[in-house]
Amino acid sequence: MFNKVLIANRGEIAIRIIRACRELGLQTVAVFSEADRQSLHVRNADEAYLLGPAPARESYLRADKIIDIAKKSGTGAIHPGYGFLAERADFAQACLDEGLAFIGPKPSSIAAMGDKEVARATVASSGVPVVPGTEGEGSLNDEDLLALAPEIGFPLLVKATAGGGGKGMREVNHIEEMPALLQAARREAEASFGDGNVYLEKLVEGARHIEFQILADTQGNVIHLGERECSIQRRHQKLLEEAPSPFIGNDDELRQQMGAVAVRAARAVDYVNAGTIEFLVDKEKNYYFLEMNTRLQVEHPVTEMVTGMDIVREQIRIARGRQMRHTQDDITLYGWSIECRINAEDPFNNFIPSTGRISHLILPTGPGIRVDMGVYTGFDISPYYDSLISKLVVGGETRGEAILRMRRALEEYKIVGVHTNIPFHQHLMDSHRFMAAQYDTRFVEERFSMGDADEGKQDLSEIAAILATFVAHQQTQRAAQFIQRGERDTSNWKWVSRWERMQR
Amino acid sequence: MRYITTIEDREYLIEILDDNHVSVDGVLYEVDIESLSDQPVHSLLVNGKSYEAYISSGDLGWDVLLRGNRYILQVEDEREKRLRAGLGGGPAITGEYHLKSPMPGMVVSIPVSEGQSISTGDVLVILESMKMQNELISPRDGNVTRLRVKPGDSVERRETILTVS
Repeated sequence: MFNKVLIANRGEIAIRIIRACRELGLQTVAVFSEADRQSLHVRNADEAYLLGPAPARESYLRADKIIDIAKKSGTGAIHPGYGFLAERADFAQACLDEGLAFIGPKPSSIAAMGDKEVARATVASSGVPVVPGTEGEGSLNDEDLLALAPEIGFPLLVKATAGGGGKGMREVNHIEEMPALLQAARREAEASFGDGNVYLEKLVEGARHIEFQILADTQGNVIHLGERECSIQRRHQKLLEEAPSPFIGNDDELRQQMGAVAVRAARAVDYVNAGTIEFLVDKEKNYYFLEMNTRLQVEHPVTEMVTGMDIVREQIRIARGRQMRHTQDDITLYGWSIECRINAEDPFNNFIPSTGRISHLILPTGPGIRVDMGVYTGFDISPYYDSLISKLVVGGETRGEAILRMRRALEEYKIVGVHTNIPFHQHLMDSHRFMAAQYDTRFVEERFSMGDADEGKQDLSEIAAILATFVAHQQTQRAAQFIQRGERDTSNWKWVSRWERMQR
Repeated sequence: MRYITTIEDREYLIEILDDNHVSVDGVLYEVDIESLSDQPVHSLLVNGKSYEAYISSGDLGWDVLLRGNRYILQVEDEREKRLRAGLGGGPAITGEYHLKSPMPGMVVSIPVSEGQSISTGDVLVILESMKMQNELISPRDGNVTRLRVKPGDSVERRETILTVS
């Protein structure tokens, strides 16, 4: 059994894992790139070792170096976090080959579920419905994909076989635009995952993205921790998640049915540790298996809030060979939780990523608030990694209470130095459609605008005008004083006499 | 000092009487403004009401982020403005706008060409950074007068990509 864990990741998730290790009394080893010497995960871990230059390909994706560091530091286990090497079966296998525990599923499960095509074929054969697409057809070239596209029908999605998080994904509406989009998707997939293979999938319209958290131990017990609603997305990047799903709501029968299907899908690949089964659900409550994420999810905290469980700690306990303490009957959902992903992006300028130094930071605190973050005042947001800087999570007894609390927390949250999408979340919290839970995966792109002033909202143009004018005024005054000081090197009495003479 | 402050098409005549008194279109307000921890974050008390805003000046004027809303304002000295109006000067947004890269990255494509007329919201450049492709859009109408990069080029943060006039 291991007592030291290497965290093969960075940012907020590395901090999250270090926290779980600390609470379990385990030693932690951080790895970092040249751009991350000052990162919080390096500062918080018991040990830290340099991997290489800033680009992920030369640092966080260097499986060989990471395993090397693990061995030299006497580490017993590796936690991959999410992204980077988290869903690479070859990396998980390499860990096992070197006698290191991999805090995640077996390499065979990652391979089965990680390859989206195999995953869909596997679950389809166990009777779980899937969205039509080129599943199980292997890696196809552009010509084959172009030939198959009309059979699936438009609109459709090009998705990275090794992918996740919306990277390497493109929506195609006409066959004519498909070749260019295929190229773009392959290039992005290659850059993000080192694998340029893509597949096609029918786009379910009006769909909601609902996923189930799974936990499975080595004794063969598999449970689900309820669902998360992740339909608030932009370009297939999740921006906000909530648990439970307002769409499933009080329909406990649907919840248990989908949960049972999720457990069956996990069992189909002999799954161990934490994982997530993603479904697309249409308006008629028909659900389709989308994919399985064989790792810890960014949005795991909302499930922790409503179940009271620590998923990362459970992951570590499972990897240590322990039996789960909870059975399905022990799992009850209490209250409501919402997570806003705070990204370094400018919501007023097409969500362009923003880089720079965080010069000022005030975190929201108080009842029902949790902030997971990897940055601090003085930290530089670099362009090398993704733009997630923090996750703001709130809990409340009801959805309404959670929304009000999130609104309050967003107002308290101050980040200066980079643009953030906090204003986006503030607008979202004020949106009547969001409040009424009337949204699907296209909501942000098609029916939401930062320019919309929701009725009843105070117009603060005049206050903005006073502020800007005062600050502009102070700036001119300061500039003027600066010049005057230089001029007054002679006595003020002389100045007065000169001035008087001039006035005569 | 008297200023004319413009938000979109709304104009305010603002007179700063002293550090604590300001009149807006003839209405007197008692104000107290403080910059917090030497940051561009300002706390404002207006007739006892408390506001906090992030204020910076950029290419388009003053940028005020207040309660989740962003306001772009032009602040002009009243005399200056009158003088310019006398000379037949147009509205505040004239001259050239230089599109600068908001981050280091690689130019993937440029959907516009030199001399092309464009309108607000048009995509000018697609830039790859943070593992994502990002569209840089035009904040105003105009013509693309100068392209300084081509697809495949790497750009630094704040490097000028093209000019709109």
